Parts: sequence; structure tokens; C-alpha cells
Amino acid sequence: MKQQTQQEKLKSIGISMLALGFFPLIWFLFQAILFRELTEIISRNLLVVFALIIGSTFVFLLFLGMDKIIKLSPKENRESLEARMFAGPSLFMIALFLFYPAIRTFYISFKDRYSNDFVGFENYRWAFSDPEMLVTIRNQIIWLIFVVFFVLLIGLVVGWLSDRLNKGEAFFKSIVFMPMAISAVGASAIFKFIYEYRPPPLTQIGIINGIRVSVDRLGTQCMNNRIIDGVFNGFDNPNCLKPIGWLQQRDMTNLPFAQNLNPDGFISSILVNLPINTMLLMVIMIWMFTGFAAVVFSAGIKAIPAEIMEAGQIDGASELRVFRSIVIPYIKSTIIVVGTYMVVTVLKAFDIIYVSTRGDLETNLLAVKMLDEFSKYRNFGRSATVAVLIFVCVLPIIVGTAIRERENTQS
Amino acid sequence: MKKPLLVSFLLLTLILGACGGGSLEGEEVTITGALIGSDQDGFRAAFEPFTEETGIIVSYQGSDNFEQEIQIQMESGDTPDFALWPQPGAVVDAANRGYLTPLADLDIDLDQYQNDFSSYLVGLGTVDGVIYGGANAANLKSIVWYQPAEFDARGYTVPTTWDEMIALADQIVADGMNPFCFGMYSNGASGWLATDWMEDIMLRTGDGVDSYDKWVSHEMPFNDPIVKNAATLLSTIMHTEGYVVGGTDAIVSTYFGNAQDPMFSKDANGNPGCFMHRQASFITGFWPEGEKEGAGTITTVFPFPSIDPSLPAAALGGGDMWGAFNDRDATKAVAEYMLSAEFYNNVAIRPDNARLSAHTGFDTSLYAAPINKILGDTIAAALSANSFRFDASDLMPPEVGAGSFWKEMMNLAVEGPGYIDTALDTIEKSWP
Repeated sequence: MKQQTQQEKLKSIGISMLALGFFPLIWFLFQAILFRELTEIISRNLLVVFALIIGSTFVFLLFLGMDKIIKLSPKENRESLEARMFAGPSLFMIALFLFYPAIRTFYISFKDRYSNDFVGFENYRWAFSDPEMLVTIRNQIIWLIFVVFFVLLIGLVVGWLSDRLNKGEAFFKSIVFMPMAISAVGASAIFKFIYEYRPPPLTQIGIINGIRVSVDRLGTQCMNNRIIDGVFNGFDNPNCLKPIGWLQQRDMTNLPFAQNLNPDGFISSILVNLPINTMLLMVIMIWMFTGFAAVVFSAGIKAIPAEIMEAGQIDGASELRVFRSIVIPYIKSTIIVVGTYMVVTVLKAFDIIYVSTRGDLETNLLAVKMLDEFSKYRNFGRSATVAVLIFVCVLPIIVGTAIRERENTQS
Repeated sequence: MKKPLLVSFLLLTLILGACGGGSLEGEEVTITGALIGSDQDGFRAAFEPFTEETGIIVSYQGSDNFEQEIQIQMESGDTPDFALWPQPGAVVDAANRGYLTPLADLDIDLDQYQNDFSSYLVGLGTVDGVIYGGANAANLKSIVWYQPAEFDARGYTVPTTWDEMIALADQIVADGMNPFCFGMYSNGASGWLATDWMEDIMLRTGDGVDSYDKWVSHEMPFNDPIVKNAATLLSTIMHTEGYVVGGTDAIVSTYFGNAQDPMFSKDANGNPGCFMHRQASFITGFWPEGEKEGAGTITTVFPFPSIDPSLPAAALGGGDMWGAFNDRDATKAVAEYMLSAEFYNNVAIRPDNARLSAHTGFDTSLYAAPINKILGDTIAAALSANSFRFDASDLMPPEVGAGSFWKEMMNLAVEGPGYIDTALDTIEKSWP
């Protein structure tokens, strides 16, 4: 490698500063001022056309100009400068639209409701003392534990079993995968109908309540308001089961089996206090993502060399043993990836709650709570605080993934 | 294929814009709001005569996410010309933050405006003596829906006092039926129906409107004996065995829009599921198809009964209020039109309309739907007598009005009358 002189070094630093800092800055400012002025003069529709034409031309000219300046630098430096030239604008955009809002959110979380005055850690004190916030955090933890666990468990079992099928594997897997193609909003709407409640004398349109009220009990015939041979059959007899507003039950006390439990016992008190509406909402997410996990796991299982499996079988290992000692260790990294993805998805979970209960009756999650504080209670400080909390929860996962990526590339 | 079309459209708008010259012909005024569906169609139709006359194009865009969107638009400075909020609290909030133009700057005759819409309504959109909000539509909440034919068939009479209503309820329970429909589940707003009940009772007990205003502004604590009395009366309705169809479980679990359905469904003996349903005028929009046409005839209303006979009749309601973001000439013209008595003419004649003008000079005979005539007259009378009061939960700070008040009413329904003190104390503590 040729030794560079001090002068050449200075020159290339100057040129890189000019090409990657000063020149684009002037360019962006020029554009910003131009468009600021244009919005005052010309109509909105025309502005869109202008922005498209001028904007793209500007970007072209910007790169052309940067390239021209870089051409002035010594040959050896050109390549790295050009690389930076292409990465620069993207980094700038990421900084503008990702880092800046993130830092500003953090800053606002220390300010009052209209972000006028500093309130110190008041918003954080609120986040960990307000009863509603505590319930929201509790729900978020329940969601994290149960949804991730069940998606992984059911996904693994389905992935493993579907691999053992002789025929119809593709069909079976596509059936399980199908909920993934439905949007969370659609899935929530479907489940809302499943859990639907109507006040008692009315015909139950929700499938669970429909079945519930049609169960004949204690020698009484109960029916979901069916007319048979011109005779009306209802469920208004006190012996019949009453419909239950599933998404409105904060605990199990309205369910007959929980009424017989002794509330003083340790296990039974947990059972009685199970937040059934939250559990039923988690079912929606588990239903949606199990298929995804199953398909990914199934692909991982297929990648296991047949020899290893056969060796295990020849050694007399049972199905369960093969599953535990070969399959699980072999697809460990796949499980971690799917698990990571699920943790992030649950932390961001918004649409299911937003569509089904909107957080009422202790079903809220952090993402919806963040929006509630912003628009319903108009408290920007608290809203930002909740956003920071979500970010803090995601942070270890980002760091963990980054570390694992580094290990993978090094090994 | 699409591009030439787009370009020619853009050119056309340019040319049209340029041709306007001095007059307001072709100027565009944008309004956003929370009205969607048939309400949106009605609101758009209201501007047809105006556009014909002045040439100003008024484009209204409704969104069920309006309240969030307008927050973001105000923060970013990308506002429409007008925003039509479903409650005046948001207008005051926006004015406090300096986003709105006072009506005085829009060349509105303020005395005339107060005269037309009552000083109470105008006061709701006023900050430090400066009027920012323009009253628009109103709805009536102090009403109880019932079916006269079912009442007549059983010899029941419409109650005019609370005691009569309770006596009637007991009578219905004794006859083996349920008197009330009551459902207050509502995604993200569960409990508001019970707060409405509380407000109606508050208006008719204590010192009537005076104690109501003190309660709203927190001059009276939330656990005051007057409020406690109101909660106790409400608890009588919610928790007396047999009063509510489906029992207390149904109160919490029933979506408010389905709450009246039992009234329309008859059991094997031909008895309806319930006889009375206290709910605002807009509930007709949630009724099953086939029942909507009967609003005002088959299913009609009686005023919420008086409780303390010494107090004057009062009416509880809600309403929309708009705020303007600039003082362009076209904006001024639209503002003036929206405050005129004629504004609702084109809306009223629509058979599916459920919105009522808050203008006291509005010709209520124009309403196509029979129920709207009844409701419109009641609102106009209450506004003129200054006994119309706005939904308290919408006027209280959002932490209370959209938070603890709703939530504790849900808890009260679940827990029973023993919970009243806890509920009121919790709400009092949550007041910022």
C-alpha cells in the first residue's frame, strides 16, 4: 500500500466533508426553503406534481454533484467515499425519521401533559402506581408469557406431527397457516362473533353462548329460541344456562364451575381470579401465529439430516426421545428466532385489543394505552412514557439479536 | 392510462382556481369531523344550497378516527379549515392551545349567535370570554323509549315522576316481566350510559341545574351527598331484582347498541323483553331494520321523569361544535352559513337523519322523521328556557369524564349498591 502524505490526507478529509456534509446540507436546505415557499404560492395538487418531478431531479443532481466532488479526491480514497455517498442519505433519513422521534419521545416523557414544563420522573411514577397502568403492565406480562409459550409449543407439535404425515401434509399445513393470511382486525372481528353476547331473552348469535344456552339441564329442555312445529323454544327457564359476556368477564366468578371453588385455597383463588377476557383475547393471537410457527418449524425439521434421525431410531429411542434429544437441539436457533419475533409482535400487539374491547374491563395492553393517553386523555407526557416503556422492553431483544448475529457471522 | 387523467384533472383545478378572481367562486373549504355514514351524507347535503349560491365548494371528510387525526394535524400545522368535534371540550382544548380563530374574527354577529343558540351552548365553546366554538347539532338524552301499544294493552300509564316510574317498574315485575333495558358496554367507552343516567338524576335532584353546574366544574366534590343520592337512585334501577332484563350481568355485558333489542322481541306469551329504555335520540340508528320506521310512532319517547317536583323541567343532551382554523373570506362565509337557521333544512328532510339542529329558530316541522319533530321541539324549548345542560362527562377533565367516571360506573354495576361510596371516592381522588 502506498504511503499517503499528510497533505493528501487533509485534502481527502476536506473533500469528504465537502461531498458528504456541506454540499448535501446546502442542497437539503435549498429544497426545504423552496418547497416552504411553494406551498404558499401554488395549489396543493400542483405541489404534489412539483414535489415528484423536482424532488426526484434534485436527488439525481445531488448524487451527481457529490460524485463530481469526490472525483477530485485521490484515487485510493474514491471507493470508500463513494460507498459513504450512497449510504449517507439513507443514514440521514433514518436519523431524521427514527432516531430523532425516538429521542424526542424520551425527552417528552419528562414533560407535562402538553409538553410545556418539566415534571421530572412524575410520569414514570404514574406508570408504576396508577391502578390502570398496573393492570396494563400485568396484561402485557401475561400476554408475553402465554402467547409466546403456546405459539411455540403448538407450532412445534404441529410442525413435528405434520412432518410425520404420509400424505396431505401440504394441505394440512396450509389449513393451519391460513389464519396468518387474515389480518388481525379480521381475526378479531371473527372472534368477536364467537364470543358475542346478547341480553338473555334474545337469540344468542355468538357460537359459544349459542351452544351454552342450548344445553338441556336438570331435565329441562333448553333451546336457543328455536321455533319447532310452530312452538317457540327458549332458554328462559331458570334451569337453563345463561349466556355470558365473555369479553366482559374480568374473573371467573360468573362461571358455574368457579362458583363451587373455595376462594380461600391458593390454587382455587388463582383460578377464580383468572382474567378470562384477557385469556380469550390471547387465543386470537395464538390462533393467528401458530400456523406461522408450525410452517417455520416444519422447514427446520425437514433440514435435519435423515441419518441422524435414523441413527436415533436404530438406537431404540422413542418418538418423544427423538423429539427431545434430536429435533429440539437441532432447530434451537429457529425456535429462538420465532420466539424473538413473537415477543416483539406481542409487545407491539395493538389491533386485536383496539378492535375487540378497546382496552375496556382490564384488557388493555401498552400499545393501546399509549394511544389512549395521547388521544383520549390528551396527556402527551404519559403517552410518551408508555412508548418509552415499550421501547425499553424491546431493547434487550434487539441487543440479544445483535449479539447472536455477531456470533453467527464470526463462527 | 391514469397519468394523463390525473394531469388533466390537476390542470382543471388550476384553471378553475385561477378563474375565480375576486369572488369566492370555486374556493374550497375543507371540514373534517367524526360524522360518518348517513350522517356524513346528510352533513354534505346541507352545503348543497350554499355551494349553488356562492360557488364555494365545501368538502367534508368524516373519519371514525377523527379525534386522533385532528390532534396530529394540529400538531403538524396541516389543519383543515374547520373541524367539527363531537363535544365542546375538545374545542376548548384546541382553543387553549392557540389553534383556533375566534368567531369575532370571522365577522360573526355574536349577540345574534348567543340569541339563536342560547348563552349556555355558546358558553361551552368560550375561553376567557372569547368565543371559539360554533354550535351545530344537538341530541337529546333525557328521554325514555317505550312502545305505547304495549303500555295500553296492559293498562300501564306513562310515568311523569320518579316514584311513578318505580311503581310502574314494580308493577311490571309483579306481572312477571322486566321493566328496563339497560346495556352499557361500549368498546373503549364502557360505562357512559350509566354516567348519562347519573347526569339526568343530578339535573332533577339537589338544586337542579345549579348543583349540576357546580358538580361539572368540581365546585362540589364528587362524593357530595347530592351525588351520592343520585348514585343510590341509579343503583335502585341497576340492582333491584327483576328490574333489568338479563339482570346485572346483562348491564355490563350488553353492547349499548343492542340494549333495546329485547323491547322489539316478544316471548312465547307475546310479552316484550323490556318496556322502558333510557337512551339518547341517536339510538334509533342502532335499532334492527324494520323498527327504525316506527321511531316516534310505534316506539316513541316520554321525557325522563322529574324527581324533585319543585325543580323546573330540565333536558340533558349532547352536541357537536366546530372550530375554525383560519379567517379566509371563504371560511367566514361558511361559518356564517353554518350558524344560520337554514343550515339544517336539507338535513332535516332526509328520512334517515338522526341529527337535530341546535338553532332555536329552526323550523322543526321540516323534520321528515316523526321522532325528530318531538325531539327537536323539546331541545328548542329547553334551550330557550336555559334548562338544557350538556353531558357532564364530556365537560369534565378526560381523566374523569372519559376515565374514572365510566370505569367506576361499570364497577358499581358489577359490585352492587355497597360499592357506591368507594366508587365516588375513587372518582373524586382521580380529579386532576
